[in-house]
Amino acid sequence: MAKEKVSTHPWPSPPRARFAWFRDHARVASESFGYLSARLATSLLVWLLIGIALALPAGLFLLQTNLSSLTGDWQGRPGVSVYFERGVAKTHVDAVIAKAEAQASVQQVWHITPEDALEEFQEFSGLAESLDLLAANPLPSSLKVTLANSADVVDLQDVARILGAQKGVDEVVIEKTWLERLAALSSLVNRLGVVLGAMFALGAVLVTATSVRLAIEARLDELRVQKLVGASNAFLRRPFLYFGLLYGLGGGLIALMLLSAVLLLLEKPLATLLGSYGSTLNVVGFDFTFLAGLMLLGGVLGLFGAVLASQQRLGTVEVV
Amino acid sequence: MIYDRLRWNLLWRRSWPVGSVDFRNVSKRYDNGFEALKQISVSIREGSMTFLTGHSGAGKSTFLRLLLRLEHADRGAIAVNGVDVTRLPERALPAYRRNLGAVFQDHHLLANRTVYENVALPLRVGGMREKDAARRVRAALSRVGLLEKELQFPRALSTGEQQRVGIARAVVNRPKILLADEPTGNLDPELSRDIMTLFQQFRQVGTTVIVASHDRELINSLGFRIIELSQGQLLRDIPGVADG
Repeated sequence: MAKEKVSTHPWPSPPRARFAWFRDHARVASESFGYLSARLATSLLVWLLIGIALALPAGLFLLQTNLSSLTGDWQGRPGVSVYFERGVAKTHVDAVIAKAEAQASVQQVWHITPEDALEEFQEFSGLAESLDLLAANPLPSSLKVTLANSADVVDLQDVARILGAQKGVDEVVIEKTWLERLAALSSLVNRLGVVLGAMFALGAVLVTATSVRLAIEARLDELRVQKLVGASNAFLRRPFLYFGLLYGLGGGLIALMLLSAVLLLLEKPLATLLGSYGSTLNVVGFDFTFLAGLMLLGGVLGLFGAVLASQQRLGTVEVV
Repeated sequence: MIYDRLRWNLLWRRSWPVGSVDFRNVSKRYDNGFEALKQISVSIREGSMTFLTGHSGAGKSTFLRLLLRLEHADRGAIAVNGVDVTRLPERALPAYRRNLGAVFQDHHLLANRTVYENVALPLRVGGMREKDAARRVRAALSRVGLLEKELQFPRALSTGEQQRVGIARAVVNRPKILLADEPTGNLDPELSRDIMTLFQQFRQVGTTVIVASHDRELINSLGFRIIELSQGQLLRDIPGVADG
């Protein structure tokens, strides 16, 4: 026998053809798309499962974003409502406004006349006809005073005390309880979103992993032959990674469609609800970044599921 | 990359020895305790044609599977071109196998792929351009006489034709060593002889051909080297007269 060579391979490796890697990816991507299209019913089922799994946490994220926006931009700042005695003189009202505006912690002061208050009440209470029966406007003049974001509870109490001591003022209400509730709700939705997001993301990964695993089982003969003729693990894994990616992206698309449908369905009641708080419906966060992010998230989760399934199964595929 | 290309071209032009095989004291015992090979030592020179024969369980298939690194030898060394392939790391196996061609009794063709796609599989795995691959596939199919059936699916072919597709797939990558495990097991004598003629043609272009077969009558008639195994041991080594 000839003297053993130092080489670690019986033959020198021929160079890979130029762009072979890109060519193979293009081919595999196209074949994977064809494979999923040919099994459209199964693929739709997987896309729906992933889509639903993504839509719920994504919906909660949207809800949380909008609640934050609601509490942050509009009502998030602490404030007080000042109610005047009925029939209070305008000079007293102006004096209280001036006093309020003079406070360092006060950011803005709105004057709500009895007529404005009645009009708003009629609009949102549904008691318009009943109110028409009243001989006189029973609502008092009031001020809505908001404090700067930097103001604390002590500032709030100081402002309430100072304004409460002014002539013509009947009552001062510190508006924080429901804001605290709204903030607490926002926090709850946030945490719920994180927990559900993690659970449903895991669900999406498992759905993809199972689907990819089934695809591997269905192509086991082909994989064995490919391994026999010298396919590397990366080559064997590639189509399944594309399956996962396409399942994930499709799931993301379905999630977007579901969320759009839900938003359409909720648009009217939400507008009514927000209108009752004197605001207009302006959904925050459902923008291109969100759409792209959701698709990307779907793709990443799908890819992750595919990596899990292919690592676990392809490692044990025996050659013929 | 450029270095690799240069090295490959230089080595190829210098008529790189295509594939010598050396089994040195190789033993293989399966998990169920069956000892398939016992201290086998055999040398097969490059460009030769060799038959492995013996009864069922003699160790013929294990011999080929060890060479393909589908099984691990328990003891001994298997040198291919002087390199002990029993010590090849897992990551080196795909490149190693791309230099081998394997033919099996049951063909292992993919039922949902056309004849063309089945034969093109090793070239795809190797990353060859479609245009070059098409040329190679058609040349291989032409060699086995199935060019006109390239668009058919394997189930539409006869057993003999399916075996020839398997051979085309095994040689399309111009393997250094061609291994065949009972390639004529399902074929009638006439077709068997055709298949053997094909193998001889590949040997003539420099490929080392190793065929496992229990058809003594057929292999005796061809006059090539015969290695006879029995219960995992070397029983006889009959030199060939047709091997030059």
